[in-house]
Amino acid sequence: MKGITSILKDQFLDVILCIQETKDEFPTLWIQGNHIVDVLHFLKNEVDLPFKMLYDLTAIDEQARKFRNGQPESRFTVVYQLLSFERNAFLRLKVPLTSEEPSLPSVTSVWPAANWYEREVYDLFGVKFTGHPDLRRILMPQTWVGHPLQKCHPARATEMGSFQLPDSKQEREQEALQFKPEEWGLDKNLGGDELMFLNLGPQHPGTHGILRLVLQLDGEDIVNVVPDIGFHHRGAEKMGERQSWHTYIPYTDRVDYLGGVMNNFPYVMAVEKLGDIEIPDRAKVIRIMMSELFRISSHLVWYGTFAQDLGMMTPVFLMFNDREKALEVVEAICGARMHPNWFRIGGVAQDLPQGWEKLIQGFIDYFSNKLKEYDKMIMQNSIFKARTVGIGVYSTEEAIEWGITGPGLRATGFEWDFRKKQPYSGYEQFEFDVPTGKNGDCYDRALVRIEEMRQSLRIIDQCLRNMPEGLYKSDHRLTTPPRKERTMKDIETLIHHFVHTTWGLAIPHGEAFCGVEATKGHNGYYLIADNSTSSYRTRIRSPSFPHMQFVPEISKGYSIPDLMAILGSVDYVLADIDR
Amino acid sequence: MMKWWTSNATNPTEVIDGNSSFEETIQKNILFTNMESMVAWGRKNSIWPFNFGLSCCYVEMATSITSKYDIARFGAEVIRGTPREADMMVIAGTVFIKMAPVIRRLYEQMMAPRWVISMGACANSGGMYDIYSVVQGVDKFLPVDVYVPGCPPRPDAFLEAILLLRDQVGKETRPLSWTVGSQGIIKPNKVSMKDLQGPERLKMTEIRDPDKI
Ligand code: SF4
Repeated sequence: MKGITSILKDQFLDVILCIQETKDEFPTLWIQGNHIVDVLHFLKNEVDLPFKMLYDLTAIDEQARKFRNGQPESRFTVVYQLLSFERNAFLRLKVPLTSEEPSLPSVTSVWPAANWYEREVYDLFGVKFTGHPDLRRILMPQTWVGHPLQKCHPARATEMGSFQLPDSKQEREQEALQFKPEEWGLDKNLGGDELMFLNLGPQHPGTHGILRLVLQLDGEDIVNVVPDIGFHHRGAEKMGERQSWHTYIPYTDRVDYLGGVMNNFPYVMAVEKLGDIEIPDRAKVIRIMMSELFRISSHLVWYGTFAQDLGMMTPVFLMFNDREKALEVVEAICGARMHPNWFRIGGVAQDLPQGWEKLIQGFIDYFSNKLKEYDKMIMQNSIFKARTVGIGVYSTEEAIEWGITGPGLRATGFEWDFRKKQPYSGYEQFEFDVPTGKNGDCYDRALVRIEEMRQSLRIIDQCLRNMPEGLYKSDHRLTTPPRKERTMKDIETLIHHFVHTTWGLAIPHGEAFCGVEATKGHNGYYLIADNSTSSYRTRIRSPSFPHMQFVPEISKGYSIPDLMAILGSVDYVLADIDR
Repeated sequence: MMKWWTSNATNPTEVIDGNSSFEETIQKNILFTNMESMVAWGRKNSIWPFNFGLSCCYVEMATSITSKYDIARFGAEVIRGTPREADMMVIAGTVFIKMAPVIRRLYEQMMAPRWVISMGACANSGGMYDIYSVVQGVDKFLPVDVYVPGCPPRPDAFLEAILLLRDQVGKETRPLSWTVGSQGIIKPNKVSMKDLQGPERLKMTEIRDPDKI
């Protein structure tokens, strides 16, 4: 098979500015901005074994960067990351923008899914996309001044003066939140009928968090849904630019806050790639075991609340009890419940405590038969079926078009699990099945998640029976300071120990992406190191962002109660959308 | 005529000026005092929370409703979907700048008497998030009755906050009607759990070995 780089060279030789080496070894090409639409169109529609998914679209503010190693001159770099399922490969394209008021053609004509990504880049970096259908801020309030991810924008709230909310400001902000159909590009009439608009959120029990949806209704039928996000934007990416490599780990916990240590996983692996850090087998297996435990606990929250959204009162109580059992194990091992902050660069924080086997075994014994009970209670319940079968249907092609990964993709019948396709941390050595659905409706998405819990339990059981002996973290110089006793003997060791424990490690310059099959879909961290003790740019590609963008597509034509089922079946977390 | 009143010296809610007039003193007669405490007793045992969450902390707040923790033991299980029916708003999570006007609006929609629990480091002070999009503590624009530390606080810690709030509510003095008694609200002083429990905590000399379960 001809490599994608040489294909592109044949086709677009004069628009390729440079080919960059990266630590993750993804082909990375710099492209002239005015040709980006053609190149992307070619990659999506014309090339053999095409790149069907726009996996990510983001930007880098280059103004403070020191080590660029011959990359084309750039003030803002826009980065496109594509995924080809046929090739099982990622591809990264970069466009340099040199102007202080940068702009670039929008690629929404190739991928409608680029819409929100471009809005995000506009909002956070100030890059304009010409030809974009609706270039408004997406995360920050419409009244915001400045673009937070520019290096010159203050990072800390405490640098920006004390927050006050006088009546005048309250009124102004409320006014800015007013919904005006014209501004959002929505018609007030449909074929002579006057349409109704319903505002749902940002505070509504059915939205599972501070999410706002504006519904355009024809009677009870949904004509369109417009999500308004950003109420939960916590600046997680900017935070990466000031925390040290290690002290950023707790912030990852809070991105998909139901996924616990699963969030640490892609981040620490990306740093390990940057630093060429090998980790011991025991650490790998411990990581897998704890992540799968969190997959179960996250799916349990989803299962209970999903059933509750559809009117069932009991399941949520039962499932939260099961979750408690899982969290008891987590707490005994990691010392905390929801945000254990337990992975470390090079391994995990601590070895497993004595007696952990009993805990894990206890959970496996307890949980094994529960799911069967729930099948009877929920999945076979006729009301539940009536509310979910044939609702929110989409096909594999649509899912790929909109960047859907995880259970939402597998429910369409497409067997794609990154743990199998691009195994990391030793997943290739585990036996487990990848459950898929057939119809891509709410019911099948539920089926897939439930079966996933069974498979996770299988994986945990294999971890329990095959836990390797050895170190729980690497003794690489970047991850572990020299032994304390030795620091007393020579100055060199003392200096290293001091630097390591005060400033933290400095990761050699480079770029790497790493992703995992997280609870909600594929979660990836794209890190840029600049020979410093913190990251130059931290990009969190979270699955819930594209999933939420897709909700309008799968809700049109259904009724409002169906929308509740659809939202539940998508299983998002607000922090994972807004970061 | 002798002036008299009933009040408890250690209890600031019932402190009354010593120079009150005869009429004022009469207003504080036995019947009204009992009535007041009866209403307060009713209030403290039926605090209805507003179904409102912001972030990760809300998950632990929701957990406190479920069977293992069971908030119903303290009469606070009647979760209301609308602020107009709720007595208490728990600021469970990060207070985002974009969300602040909405939070304030929701608070203003609640009818008095109303109380606020600030749950978690974020709501208390911004917590880990000293970042451009986060308000450094909800008390920048809302009055807070109880602060719960933690990131997130365990459900047990949240329940302790409910107990503290119940205590406060039980001791609060509010006018029974616009014609009866003084019209202000007298709240008890907030207690610092650190001061209260510090000495006891300092007695702990051994910390559990993390290598054992
Ligand atoms: S205090 Fe911690 S757990 Fe609570 S919302 Fe903030 S980050 Fe999340």
